[in-house]
Amino acid sequence: MHELRIAEDLSAIVLDTALRNNLSKVTKVNISFGQLIQIVPAIFEFAFRETVRNSVAGSAELDIEIVPVKMKCMNCGSDFQVNENLFACNICSSTDLGIIQGKELFIKSIEGE
Amino acid sequence: MEIKIMKNILDRNQNKANEVRNLLTLKKVLMVNIISSPGAGKTTLLERTCEALGAKFRIGVIEGDITTDRDAQRLKKYNIPIVVINTEGGCHLDSHSISKVLDNFDLDNLDVLFVENVGNLICPSQFDLGETFKLAVVSTTEGDDKPGKYPMLFREAVAVLLNKIDLIPYTNFIFDSFRSDLNKINSQIPLFEVSCTRGDGLPEWYQWIGEMINISR
Repeated sequence: MHELRIAEDLSAIVLDTALRNNLSKVTKVNISFGQLIQIVPAIFEFAFRETVRNSVAGSAELDIEIVPVKMKCMNCGSDFQVNENLFACNICSSTDLGIIQGKELFIKSIEGE
Repeated sequence: MEIKIMKNILDRNQNKANEVRNLLTLKKVLMVNIISSPGAGKTTLLERTCEALGAKFRIGVIEGDITTDRDAQRLKKYNIPIVVINTEGGCHLDSHSISKVLDNFDLDNLDVLFVENVGNLICPSQFDLGETFKLAVVSTTEGDDKPGKYPMLFREAVAVLLNKIDLIPYTNFIFDSFRSDLNKINSQIPLFEVSCTRGDGLPEWYQWIGEMINISR
């Protein structure tokens, strides 16, 4: 359900950017979500549609890139991608890890005319 | 035409959270954002904590509740400042709602502010409230699979409190499986195994949270 609140904040940024750049129509919104954020894209898309209804972004396509979780091992220094929610270094098995990516909630750009 | 933006969608929440954090640091108040499922025992933990530490520390509570003030009513008897935030259906608190109610507390006369977030394991972990740290509360009756299912919370939290350990014999909760999953998500995290109704394990929690409060004073 956090999808709705995040969609509201996203649409505020989109509409503000469109206004400041004199866009009459937003055609595409490019965003990236880290896997750890646990956003359900279909719910997010539904929520976004509701928040931009009857605005210049009403028919904008939403491009959601899901960013996989990547970690750095503090013990041996290797970087690796986490495929399951089991965080251990695939070289030395250490669990002393830092998150490099996977927590993104990011708007990259909008496209329009 | 494409317009580059490159910013965090929750910037607005993050900026306000940073303001809250700066204010609380200045006032030397520890803020604990307590996150759990509904019914894990957040309010009972606060009741026990007020009983045990109320004479030693100046405690305040922000109750995040969807529609009622029932949790706040349970804490009234401890004579501590309590503010209820009704989220009106919203599944989490955010930094703006916290910032608004901070005026209701005399921060110069407070050591710790416990925030009881709305019962939910996903949404509240995305919204920084400006807390000093997040505490994850989970109970044995929910099953032993929570760390693997909700990695973000168990990664972001600074401590985990496992409640209702007295009920383990009546559930299929396997402690070793819980501990091993938690280790795989966050191996360094302190784990308190407690029963808030029977009292098991609570002295260790009181001691730890007392140390945390003293550090921020």
